[in-house]
Amino acid sequence: MDSARSRLQVDRNHRKTVGEVFVENPRLTCRDIDVFYGEKQAIKNVSLDIAGNEVIAMIGPSGCGKSTFLRCLNRMNDTIDSCRVSGNIVLDDEDINQPGVDVVLLRAKVGMVFQKPNPFPKSIRENVAYGPRIHGLAADRNQLDEIVESSLQKAGLWDEVKDRLDDSGTSLSGGQQQRLCIARSIAVSPEVILMDEPCSALDPIATAKIEGLIDELRENFTIIIVTHSMQQASRVSQRTAFFHLGDLIEVGSTRQLFTNPKHQLTEDYITGRFG
Amino acid sequence: MTKIWGKRVFSSSLLDSRFLFLAATVVGVLLTLSIFAFMVMLGLPLFSVHSLTLLLTQAWAPDQGLYGVFPFICGTCAIVSLSLLIAFPLSLGNAILIHLLAPRRLARFLHQVVKMMTGVPTVIYGFVGIFFLVPLVREWFSRGSGMCILSAALLLALLISPTMILVFLESFSAIPATHLRALEALGGTRRQKLLHVILPGARTGIITGLLLALGRALGDTMIALMVAGNATAQPESLLDSVRTLTAHIALVMAADFDSIEFKTIFACGIILYLWTAVLTLSLRCLHFNYAKSSHDQSL
Repeated sequence: MDSARSRLQVDRNHRKTVGEVFVENPRLTCRDIDVFYGEKQAIKNVSLDIAGNEVIAMIGPSGCGKSTFLRCLNRMNDTIDSCRVSGNIVLDDEDINQPGVDVVLLRAKVGMVFQKPNPFPKSIRENVAYGPRIHGLAADRNQLDEIVESSLQKAGLWDEVKDRLDDSGTSLSGGQQQRLCIARSIAVSPEVILMDEPCSALDPIATAKIEGLIDELRENFTIIIVTHSMQQASRVSQRTAFFHLGDLIEVGSTRQLFTNPKHQLTEDYITGRFG
Repeated sequence: MTKIWGKRVFSSSLLDSRFLFLAATVVGVLLTLSIFAFMVMLGLPLFSVHSLTLLLTQAWAPDQGLYGVFPFICGTCAIVSLSLLIAFPLSLGNAILIHLLAPRRLARFLHQVVKMMTGVPTVIYGFVGIFFLVPLVREWFSRGSGMCILSAALLLALLISPTMILVFLESFSAIPATHLRALEALGGTRRQKLLHVILPGARTGIITGLLLALGRALGDTMIALMVAGNATAQPESLLDSVRTLTAHIALVMAADFDSIEFKTIFACGIILYLWTAVLTLSLRCLHFNYAKSSHDQSL
């Protein structure tokens, strides 16, 4: 097991990122991640540990690579033809950035919630049941119903939809749809949930609900959230990573990063001097 | 002042364009209906002598006073349904290959080929049919002339496939990318993507492609004329020569205008017209009901 991890130890000396890149007992270990879109380098030699049961926020100006980095973690960049990702990403002692990795299994372990709510044009029940069904997680109808109920409960949506599970998922409001998408991704019991600006299409009340939910979900999942809003990062996360032009500039506890940034760029960004 | 004037110009031009669209619609509908009325009117002398039922069920033997077009209805039916049976699965498979499975370069190449095929004149297909397909069919089955239902259906399948493939592809690419991303992020395989998102989402497009192909197959004259053999006898096997309704119209066109033979082409026209209309409408209804009742079949 430890060949992958010990190989990573070598790189400990190499760091240009300021702050606490490494943590004890990481859930996800990313080393020397480079991402290219054709000739253009979108992520430059980024290393980062992500602990279990933490919410880590990725912030930075548009085009800084934070979403690209997020998509490395469930291999969603595979769907882009010109995109090449190199480096090691270790989850559960397996380097998930190797060609032989079964992305179907990986994506069951690493769920994703998108910027715009994207429920399937199916019923609420079917939206949540879809993942467990294709991964064969439920033995029978009753078990599937239980998964649907518990996922919707964890996503804080159960009370609002329990009487209309057969209504279309698209009939819900934007905030409800996004919570439905969260329920859909937690229904397959992932370890990590990636959220790519999950509130950017929502109003403040729906946003507050999702943020509260993220805090609750931390008990069971590791959450990596990309956000444009620094207020949101400071409200929901324990650690924050600041990206700039493909570099990971600084990582640290959210409180420290926002009150006492160590890098000049971080300070400039959070004080609104650019961005 | 100018403002009021400007406003008037705006609203009146809006009104004008509305009239234009209305006029275009009315003319279109009237033309379609008047074609039908025209055929019925010109066919009336025939219907007054020979009952419609007889026309629809009798054999074609003008020398014995029989002017039925039943063999032609059978011929059309056989060729059209056989060609659709061949072309539909092929086209769907082809579209799936281009959209989802083939490597990008191959997909682009195939797409171009299909686009090019839509532009090939029908008579060229007919030529290839006569000199290539017909001898092959004759050799394979060593029966008849090779000008038969099977040859015509194979060739017609080739003719209608490109249209179907392009319509299918169009409807595949209209599937919202967000649904595909959602499925990928859940760990869905390519097969699940196809079966659970693409095909259900493209249902309307698939029906449309099928209808267009059906219309083209029903209406095609050249291939039937060149490859199906034009025999007036009742066909009994796929290797028999047949004459389709469209081919009958084209062939009898040269006959004396006052003869009964000539007047049967109006019967053929009416049958083709109603046939297309009824098939189109019923498929549309079927699809509409299906879409209504099953917005939510299991994924």
